This record gives sequence, structure tokens and C-alpha cells, in this order.
Amino acid sequence: MKGLAPATRAVGRIAALLATACAAGPAVAHTGEGLTGGFFGGFTHPIFGPDHVVAMVAVGLWGAFLRAPAIWLLPVVFPLVMAAGGVLGILGVPLPGVEYGIATSAVVLGLMVALSARPPIWVAAVIVGAFAIFHGHAHGAELPPGADAMAYSAGFVIATGLLHLTGIAFGLGTCWPAGRLAVRAAGGLIALAGLAFLSRLP
Amino acid sequence: VNARRLAGIFVLLSATPACAHTVIGIGGFPGGLLHPILVPAHLFSLLALGLLISQQRERVIASVSFIAALVIGLIALTFAVGETAAPSVMLANTALAGVMVAAAWTPPKPVVWLLAAITGGMLALDSPPDAVTIEEGNLMLVGTALGACATLVAVVAGASLLRRPWQRLGVRIAGSWIAASALLVLALELR
Repeated sequence: MKGLAPATRAVGRIAALLATACAAGPAVAHTGEGLTGGFFGGFTHPIFGPDHVVAMVAVGLWGAFLRAPAIWLLPVVFPLVMAAGGVLGILGVPLPGVEYGIATSAVVLGLMVALSARPPIWVAAVIVGAFAIFHGHAHGAELPPGADAMAYSAGFVIATGLLHLTGIAFGLGTCWPAGRLAVRAAGGLIALAGLAFLSRLP
Repeated sequence: VNARRLAGIFVLLSATPACAHTVIGIGGFPGGLLHPILVPAHLFSLLALGLLISQQRERVIASVSFIAALVIGLIALTFAVGETAAPSVMLANTALAGVMVAAAWTPPKPVVWLLAAITGGMLALDSPPDAVTIEEGNLMLVGTALGACATLVAVVAGASLLRRPWQRLGVRIAGSWIAASALLVLALELR
């Protein structure tokens, strides 16, 4: 870690800490509700959606490429924008082409990483924010009623944030030439996965 | 050392079991004491407020505002206050405080005092004791007061130790996650 900038070291530490925190075990709410409710249900929900996983990891990878302030701006801003999308989904506000938006997010974000694109920060924020609304809308619409909503939502948001931090932690490899190649290759794979998701949609 | 402290705090908090408004098998004073920690909405509300207060220079009046409103709210409960909008108001308050933490914004002092008072009052009104006797109910209320105050003080004190840039960034991320969670639940409540 000697060759890393303080900002990247900081993100690495935070990623490690937060990952440790969530490895402490799920908080089971309302025994008997099964996996659909409580912290565990919310935590596993985004992790078991491959389209969501690759897009969130791609956001983290891209943040690592964009460097400060994007690297720390994304994990702060993304959950809030995603929650705004989630509110739309919960309230039943229609958003056309949600599934297409989610699959496209993997393609676009993967390409950004693969191409090592570094647009102005506001452009990156708009792109990521737009896709965050699609992801949030889809998951908001799927929030189970009657479960321990607070624990479920917390699990859901934390899992999403940890996926970002996973991407950022992996993206720290961009400090080395071989790491940059690996990260860009990962971006390419994510874009291909996004194309596969798109091809499955009707 | 601070990193270890932070990790310890997060591990403890994330390992907390999430229960509804009754602590199964625990009544009276201990049940009340654990209530603010074991009810996720209350815990998140205390976390958001504690993190927000820790980011301010002036911390005493905000904490006192919280405690005063909490005590008033709990006393009101003894007069059999009926169902209120406390859960929704508390969620909105949590979301607002979380956004302020995420933005690392220092609002005018009265805003923080008001948020603290709302958190205390709503947390109290959303903590009706699930007890058979009046004595046990009162003990639960006393326990709730102490538990909520102790939790808030612990969060403020713990977060105030986090002075390095990356630690402050961690606090902002935590605020963002809390606000996002609260927004989602608020939408569920309002649906």
C-alpha cells in the first residue's frame, strides 16, 4: 500500500472495515419470517441479482479509475439516488424500461471501465445517478410488505454499498500496470455480461 | 487504534438482532433499556442523530434537547397517548439527519437542536411499554430513557473520535446508508 495515494488507502481501509462489519453475521428480525424479511433478506437480495452485482461493482471500479473526489463521492451519493428510485418503485410510480435500464447499466459502466474513460465528474455522476434510479426502482418495487422494513432496507443498502466498495477495492489495482489491465478486463467482462442480460430480455 | 475502534463499533452494531417493539423474553427495566438498540428504526434514528451531532462544534445543547424531548415524550406515554404519526416522523427525521451527515453539512445550530428534539420525542412516543402491570411499564419507560440516552452519548462520543479524513468519510458513508434505508421505509409506510 506504500505506493498508494492517501485517498485510495482510505477507501481500502473503509472497504475492509465495512466488509468486516457485515461479516459479523446477519441480524435476524421477526423469527419465522424466513429469508424474505429482516436484515438477512435485504442483504442477500441485491447479491443474488447478477445484473445488480456487476453494475454495482462496475460503479466501484469506475470510481477507482476516476480517482478523488469520485472515488469517495460515489459510495456517498449512489445509495441516496438509488433510494430515490426505490421510493418511486415503492409508491408505484411507473418507470418505463426498468429491466433494459439495468442491463444497459452493466454495458455502459463496464465499457467506461474497459475504456478507462475519465469524463468530467458531473457527467459521470449523471450517468451513474440515472442508472441508480433504475436499480433502485426495481428493488423498491420488490420490497416485501410486512417484513421488518427498516432492517430489510438497511441490509439492502449496505449490501449495495459493499458491492461498490468491493469494486473500489479491486479498482485500487489501477495503481499498477498489471492491475490496470486486470481492472479494464473486468470492465470488459461486465459489459459482456450486460449484453447477455440484454439479449435475454423480451 | 481508531480503525480498530471503528471496526469494533460497526461489528457490534451490525451484529445486533433486529426485533420489533418487544424484546422477547425480556421485560421491565432491562427490556426498556434494550429497546432503543434492538428496534432498527430507533437504532438508526439514534445513529443518524449521533453522527450529525458529532459533526457539529456545539454538541451539548443538541444532546440536552434530545434528552428533554425524550423525557417529555415518555411522560406523555404514561398518560396513555394513543397512536401517533411518530414512526413516520421519526423516519423522515432520520433521513434528513442522514443526508446532512452524508453531506457533512453544518446547519444553523437551532436546526440540529430541533432535529434532536424531534428524534427524542418521536422515539419516546414510538416506545409504548408492552407490560402487564403499571409498575413494569414504568420501569420499561425508565429503561428506554436510559438506553436511548446512553446509545446517543456512545455514538456521539465514538464518532467524535473519528478525526482522520478517511474516518470522516466512513461516517459520511454511514450517514448516506442510514438516510437511504430510512427513505425506503418511509415510502413503504406512506404507500
